[in-house]
Amino acid sequence: MYLLALDWWLILEKCLLVAVVVALSFFIAMYTTYAERKVAAWLQDRRGPNRAGPFGIFQPLADGGKLFFKEEIIPLASSRFLFILGPSMAMLTALLTSAVIPWSTPMHLFGRNISMQIADINIGILYVFGVVSLGVYGILVGGWASNNKFSLLAAIRGASQMISYELAMGLALIAVLMMTGSLQMSVIVQNQVQHGWHIIYQPLGFVIFFVCALAECNRTPFDMAECENELNFGYHQEYSSMKLGFYLFAEYINMFISSAVMVTLFFGAYDIPFVNEASWGLNANWLAIIGFIVFLAKTFFFLFVFIWIRWTIPRFRYDQLMNLGWKKLIPLALANMIVTAVVMLLLKK
Amino acid sequence: MLTQRAKQVDRRPMTGLESIYLWNILKGMMITLSHLFKKKATIQYPEQKRTFSKVFRGLQVLNRDAEGRENCTACGLCAVACPAEAITMEAAERLSGEEHLYREEKYAVKYEINMLRCIFCGFCEDACPKDAIYLSQTFAPANYGRKGFIYKKEDLLIPHPIEQPEAYKKALGEKVVKADG
Amino acid sequence: MYRQTEIIKDASQPGIEGDMVINVGPQHPATHGVLHLVITLNGETIKKVEPHLGYIHRSIEKMCESLSYRQFIYVTSRMDYLSAHINNHACALCVEKGLQVEIPPRAQVIRILMDELTRIASHELWWGAMAMDLGAFTPFFHAFRERETINDIMEDTCGARLTMNYIVPGGVMADLHPDFQKKTKEFIQLYKRKIHEYDELVTGNIIFQNRMKGIGYLSPEDAVSYGCTGPTARGSGVSSDIRKLYPYEIYDKLEFDEVLESAGDSFARYMIRIGEMQQSIRIIEQLIDNIPEGDFQAKTKAVLKLPKGEYYSRVETARGELGVYIVSENGTTPYRIKFRSPGFSNLSVLDHIARGSKLGDLVAMMGTLDLVIPDIDR
Repeated sequence: MYLLALDWWLILEKCLLVAVVVALSFFIAMYTTYAERKVAAWLQDRRGPNRAGPFGIFQPLADGGKLFFKEEIIPLASSRFLFILGPSMAMLTALLTSAVIPWSTPMHLFGRNISMQIADINIGILYVFGVVSLGVYGILVGGWASNNKFSLLAAIRGASQMISYELAMGLALIAVLMMTGSLQMSVIVQNQVQHGWHIIYQPLGFVIFFVCALAECNRTPFDMAECENELNFGYHQEYSSMKLGFYLFAEYINMFISSAVMVTLFFGAYDIPFVNEASWGLNANWLAIIGFIVFLAKTFFFLFVFIWIRWTIPRFRYDQLMNLGWKKLIPLALANMIVTAVVMLLLKK
Repeated sequence: MLTQRAKQVDRRPMTGLESIYLWNILKGMMITLSHLFKKKATIQYPEQKRTFSKVFRGLQVLNRDAEGRENCTACGLCAVACPAEAITMEAAERLSGEEHLYREEKYAVKYEINMLRCIFCGFCEDACPKDAIYLSQTFAPANYGRKGFIYKKEDLLIPHPIEQPEAYKKALGEKVVKADG
Repeated sequence: MYRQTEIIKDASQPGIEGDMVINVGPQHPATHGVLHLVITLNGETIKKVEPHLGYIHRSIEKMCESLSYRQFIYVTSRMDYLSAHINNHACALCVEKGLQVEIPPRAQVIRILMDELTRIASHELWWGAMAMDLGAFTPFFHAFRERETINDIMEDTCGARLTMNYIVPGGVMADLHPDFQKKTKEFIQLYKRKIHEYDELVTGNIIFQNRMKGIGYLSPEDAVSYGCTGPTARGSGVSSDIRKLYPYEIYDKLEFDEVLESAGDSFARYMIRIGEMQQSIRIIEQLIDNIPEGDFQAKTKAVLKLPKGEYYSRVETARGELGVYIVSENGTTPYRIKFRSPGFSNLSVLDHIARGSKLGDLVAMMGTLDLVIPDIDR
């Protein structure tokens, strides 16, 4: 009787949504590699990949295929179980984060209201932070299990860097949470739809969040865990075949998801600015699709910025990175939080 | 030799604004952004090829005269001049009936250049008294093994000017044929 | 000599106090070649750097002893391949000293023009590689784009792009290409347009400056005692420009400054090279419209023989002082030849300046020393 009481349609709907979101993450991550190579080439007066298919659009497929067919090497001296666990964890945590992102407004299909969010839990933000902090283990475990000194150094760097920047990231976000009064993603978005995007109220918070997001994704100038010039590709140095592919892919999925989180928290998610979509008289499904496209467009812009930054600036030194994190960003984030609190109190009175 | 002329570089500590890094990074990013739609410097290699200059020292070619006879007399001056000792040759007497093949009484039966040793300095061309070897405007193509880089006489000889006039002209390129050699 | 197994055993054993020993190289992106550094680390801090050389030793000195005075010059292009022309120049000067030939003024000017173009090309490549060492990729491609123009100029006149083989004892191999002046002037214009881009992208970047300033301090006394030359020594305020101190060809008649900085850190060495590129442009601008007419090659015998004796000549390459020492026994080949390469002495200072700094700094320091491994090993 208990099973019958379950809403089976809801489970089916969520399963479908999960499948779509995971597939979409993979697809976008694949084409982010392509975009990275193209944009990098353009910034450097080159052309980029243009051999596989028209404009080289099959390049990511070729790369993926190549990775699958590469010989898989597990070093003898490595810890075999952890060696495989590392990339798996990196991939898993990268994919998990997308569960709480509100991709669009609800759709109305088959007489049901279908939410475009896999799980609208009331601790959405905490969930994101929890999963992201698990992402450290992918790097740590992989780097340690490789039994390579360069990997070990990189893993230690990566772990301490991600932990330090998570602090500043969380503190920068508290100001936003204070304004919304909720940890739920949908509430945060609704607040922005009604009162304007959070970027207007929290520019400093956004900058701090953005810098920390760069660090969390291990992107230049914070790619301490990889930095090919010092550490020879760091934690994934000993990896080959699709295990290496998992690490590289996880990085791009992380980029995509953190762009999506930034859009959700600061740029109104699927909201189109200065326009009241409801007055267009379109039905809910069309609005949902438009909202989704708007969401993706905003996300792609951030992906471009990520790539653009990577190919422009040199990387920090390890101690400078730590200085920036602990001595600049955390105090700034704290100040931002206090100022927000004071202003909010004053406005209430 | 310590001198007092040295200048002092700017060594001020960072100001507060600089320490956030933002402004300088933005300037650099604008530079790269300006390159986004600029003319690309790439040469699309197999389809497009850049032309080498006329004096480019590339792959060696063994020359023939206008009637298609080999110029080389196997004197060995090129082998002596070669700093990399890349040239090997064996001489033989021309037999009667071979006058249409070789210009002088002596010719090279075997003529090999090891392109892995060759440094393309052009000394062989300078040393040759018979205008029998010259450096063309191309380079040695890739090969799968070391053996493939040892160029035999057949690989080096220019196409026959009468039997394959078009290939001969193409191989000759900008080179001026000397009448007497 | 170490056997291979010994090195590995040596490096995998923890040193005193449980330090970590890592092997950077011989195949490592930071070394730009086959240099092997055994680094003792305490956390991220470097305690000791021990360079192991010889991976690309081709015994060029010994090889040159079996080659004639015309031939051996071209083998030396393979030492410091980034300033190949200047290497050839040094050898030719030494042979000419022995032969007592007068070099025609046109040849002298052509040699200097090519020297300075080579110097710019070398520094351009260094600049790109330097930025890449610090994690910025785009400058590398921008530098190569400009360097390509110089390579084209070289190809037009010399017949090759990297190892030019253009100098012969007594002058140069061939006359200048008719387009040489036009193309060189175009390059100067291009360079002046692009230099501000370099400044904004790298030199002015605050992350870059933070990674360079105060890192790898080399005092003037140490620079002298380690035998540093070139930009490495000049970054510490030691005047060591051979073009000024022992002028060869017509450098004494030209107007240019020896770029000197007093700070002695990585950033000073960086600024020296940037300044040197501008000085080279200045030299080229003085000469490009004033190339004297006349022969490009002095008459020399077909087979050169140096009188019995010892000859030494030195030039300023892009990396420092290159000395060529020839002992002649009145034969057609040198009895003994010795190259004093700038890279070797400059590398020896690495351990001294790297101690106590971070692992990331090591890459930056190696970048500013501008190491070319074939030049060090020969």
